[in-house]
Amino acid sequence: MLGKLIKYDLKASAKLFILLHALFLAACIFCRMLFINRLDFIHSSEQSLVTAIAIITSLMIFLIVALNLGSWLLITFRFYRNLFSREGYLSWTLPVSGLQHLWSKIISGYMYMALSTVVIGAGVLILVSGRNVVEAYSTIEPEVTEELGMSISSFAVSLFLYSIFACISTVIMTYFCITVGQLFPGHRILCALAAYFITNLVVQFLSLFLAFAFGYSPGYSSAFISDGKPIAESIWGTITLSTFLMIILSILQYIITHIIIKKKVNLL
Amino acid sequence: MRSILECQGLTKKYGDFFALSNLTLTLERGQIIGLLGPNGSGKTTLIKLANGLLIPTDGHIMINGLAPCPDTKKIVSYLPDRSFLNERMRISEILTFYSDFYDNFSMERAEKMLDALEIDRCARLRTLSKGNKEKTHLALVMSRDADLYILDEPIGGVDPAARDYILQTILTNYNENATVLISTHLIADIESILDRVIFLQNGQLALNALVDEIRTQYGKSVDALFREVFKC
Repeated sequence: MLGKLIKYDLKASAKLFILLHALFLAACIFCRMLFINRLDFIHSSEQSLVTAIAIITSLMIFLIVALNLGSWLLITFRFYRNLFSREGYLSWTLPVSGLQHLWSKIISGYMYMALSTVVIGAGVLILVSGRNVVEAYSTIEPEVTEELGMSISSFAVSLFLYSIFACISTVIMTYFCITVGQLFPGHRILCALAAYFITNLVVQFLSLFLAFAFGYSPGYSSAFISDGKPIAESIWGTITLSTFLMIILSILQYIITHIIIKKKVNLL
Repeated sequence: MRSILECQGLTKKYGDFFALSNLTLTLERGQIIGLLGPNGSGKTTLIKLANGLLIPTDGHIMINGLAPCPDTKKIVSYLPDRSFLNERMRISEILTFYSDFYDNFSMERAEKMLDALEIDRCARLRTLSKGNKEKTHLALVMSRDADLYILDEPIGGVDPAARDYILQTILTNYNENATVLISTHLIADIESILDRVIFLQNGQLALNALVDEIRTQYGKSVDALFREVFKC
């Protein structure tokens, strides 16, 4: 039954998901061919080069954020509609347990978010893998490698793998907030949004607190670690702390979501 | 054989309001039962509790001896009082969905009913008229070989001709060992098919009697008795 639930969850949002991601990849290819391939890093004036790169980077960051938000909205609406709106009358009367419903949503949601991250990674790779960019980068490679403590490709792969892993926490936190919202029948969506903002605030506060406490905030010297270390050390230190925090919070959120689904679901 | 549905001291509260209050009730197999009562009497709450869509505040409800769970959902076929399907789905996709999840779903029976209604399998649900949507919902629910059919307002929003079709569909498709629980306000329309009626008032049981008993004991039709009991 779990497999069937996952199949229908994936199928429900597949068309829009594929369309959004195909458009993003097309935009990346378009941007690379029409703009990035034409950048001349050697003969252009610094000002015109900086302007062009700033415009392209801003545009692509906007597209990446929009794509990520689009994928997130797809899984959020699927979870809410399928379990807590009128479609819930069918979902909750299928011969499957609440646990199976929750896992099908976690697995399908994670698959979509992880796939979205892969497509974003592919899009970025399309943008920066042109010969002109690679040649231009080679002139500053030693400094970047020294500062990062590893090659930029190793750094990018590590960051990419972390992002793929972090998707699970995004999915569980989203479902947790929607489920908490169901405890307030009169204001379900409002309370789900409130739960989302409060949870994010707590996560940000804890992340910052831990980063400062362990001296992983750049330019900040703590009692534990002295200043003057490479940027990568701060980044990886922060990521390691975030990962631990993420794992602990995700487990807690999963347990609470499971309990609410098992004992508190009231479809009014 | 176990009762198909049993409630013991069943209570459901919304804030300070008792939607159901200490309800004790047993439904036997092989009957068509009318669940009747004015708005807010607790009919839909009882139906939702039987389907595991609400959690009781107190007491318990058992289907075939079990609290609502995946095993009870296998034997209960439920028609909610609202559209419950993804309206972007095509009729053929909905049929496959039912066939995937319910072992007791008869594709043949469903196709036969949809053919009689001349409903195109390629059409999306949202393109159907309100009446055809309701008939499609009912066809899906009645195409299962369930032990308990729970129909919440199955004839509420359709014209008299469609009502006849729906009642006919119920009568011709349920297994005689199964129980059909129908909640409705339109008593006169369904009275002829009912074996038993349950009156709910303010979340409590007001009457649980065979239709024949009502006729002989009170000398009235169910509709007339309902109007008398729930007179405003």
